[in-house]
Amino acid sequence: MDGTLEFTMGLSDGIAWPWPIAVYLFFAGISGGALSVALFIRFYKKQVTNTAFLKASALVSFITISLGMLCLVLDLTNPLFFWRILVYYNLNSVMSIGVIALTAYIPLVALIAMFALEEEIKRIAILRPLLPIIDKLRGIRRPCEVAVLLLALSVCAYTGFLISALIRFPLINTAVLPALFVASGLSAGAAAAKMLAVGMFKEDLHSQDMKILHGAEWPIMFAEALFLFMIIMSLMTGNAGAQTAFEAFHSGSWAMVFWLGVVGVGFMGPVLLNFATGKRFSHSAQAFYLSGLCAVSGMMCLRMFILYAGQNFAI
Amino acid sequence: MSENIERRRFLKCLGAGSLILAPLGCSSVKEEDSNSNRPHYAMVFDQNKCVGCGECKEACNKANNLPEGKSRLMMEQQSGGVEGQKCSHCGKTECDCERKYVRVSCQQCKNAPCVTVCPTGAAHRDPATGIVTMNADKCAGCKYCIAACPYDARYINKDTDVADNCDFCLNSKLAKGELPACVQGCRYDALIFGDVNDPNSYISRLLAVKDSVRIKSHFGTEPSLRYIPIVKQGV
Repeated sequence: MDGTLEFTMGLSDGIAWPWPIAVYLFFAGISGGALSVALFIRFYKKQVTNTAFLKASALVSFITISLGMLCLVLDLTNPLFFWRILVYYNLNSVMSIGVIALTAYIPLVALIAMFALEEEIKRIAILRPLLPIIDKLRGIRRPCEVAVLLLALSVCAYTGFLISALIRFPLINTAVLPALFVASGLSAGAAAAKMLAVGMFKEDLHSQDMKILHGAEWPIMFAEALFLFMIIMSLMTGNAGAQTAFEAFHSGSWAMVFWLGVVGVGFMGPVLLNFATGKRFSHSAQAFYLSGLCAVSGMMCLRMFILYAGQNFAI
Repeated sequence: MSENIERRRFLKCLGAGSLILAPLGCSSVKEEDSNSNRPHYAMVFDQNKCVGCGECKEACNKANNLPEGKSRLMMEQQSGGVEGQKCSHCGKTECDCERKYVRVSCQQCKNAPCVTVCPTGAAHRDPATGIVTMNADKCAGCKYCIAACPYDARYINKDTDVADNCDFCLNSKLAKGELPACVQGCRYDALIFGDVNDPNSYISRLLAVKDSVRIKSHFGTEPSLRYIPIVKQGV
């Protein structure tokens, strides 16, 4: 006995936030990441046409954030209580700030998707009523894009801030987590959108957009690995609580998810596919899709690992 | 011409008014903070007196109409054998360890993470008593408060589907002028409840003479639950 009293029991049953929340963090990250990257390229290259990558990003972004919201609502103890989060606010709460950001972000993403997919909407009969709306709002497209870029990055970071406020879990309660989530959101979002751009919108594998993406991917992935390394080091060299949480990296089944899923598939997968194979394979469509899938599934593993291992190793 | 004078007078009044009102506005915030007349309700758990009978749990369940078998507090046995089970202190099946229990319940933090993180304000501090309690009509069931509580002292009430915590029976007993149900139910005086801002209350006088500890004080949550631990460690 170290002179103080402690208890280890808890009144909640197991972990408070199960896998739907990890899936929500994943979808929100992809949504924010995909759209940010597309808009970065659009602004950087001063594009005015609807490129295949922008179309794919807008579509991915809208679908994933909608699915994410679905996960979020279904994880409530009673999904019918959802309106309460939209009606009552507490500005001290990270979640409340996030709700405000998301209520602005989701309609704007829908709008951006309408602008980007105008030609496709023209071709689909049931979506045609949207065309007059697109025409009317065309004037505010630019300000919308700027706003949505800021909001997309905020949503990525918000998913990190949301859980880093949980002081009981040393693995989650770190300052680097929002940065890690932004980086991994950008890389997985870009991967998801580029797969769709090539697969659905017939983008050339070696087009200019793809070249920029290819150049940006590796530094982002490096930043992601660096942030993870920072978390690992701070836990390893930290106090008693941090040391308990460090166990998450070397014991239990979640350590496997981390080393095989996050490091093996998420980081080593794309690296090996691009640099360890012959030039013919690494430039092929199979390698392109495979490395994209690796990046996306690595990100899913990361969210699952952070949420579950984080909550399992509490202090 | 007259319009000009009107405008000038208006501006003068505006300037003078803001000069008077601005300092007033700033000072009024301070006054509220240092209001020491408000009660600060606290509870003491005396480990020396608790025998682990569990009547506090039953009283809690009944007073707050909780689902069967559920209560807003738990008793953790930390040493002493139960028939057929290993002692959690020494690890032996048969031992002479003294039975030791700890109350596990909401610590009624002065700096409560659940209140900070709650997106709807359902987990809030009762303005009159300062007790952390729930507004079940506002709770969306997001479980953010449960994840944020450093003591894992909150749970979802299966009957109402909203989060719940020990609020010293704020609505079921205190509102009627009674003591919390567990305090009333304890036959060994192991639970003491009262206002620590009142220097004459029994709890204030008890805390003045007894050494008490707070759980996980390094979280900076400033809990209002105090524990008087058994410090005797054998001869």
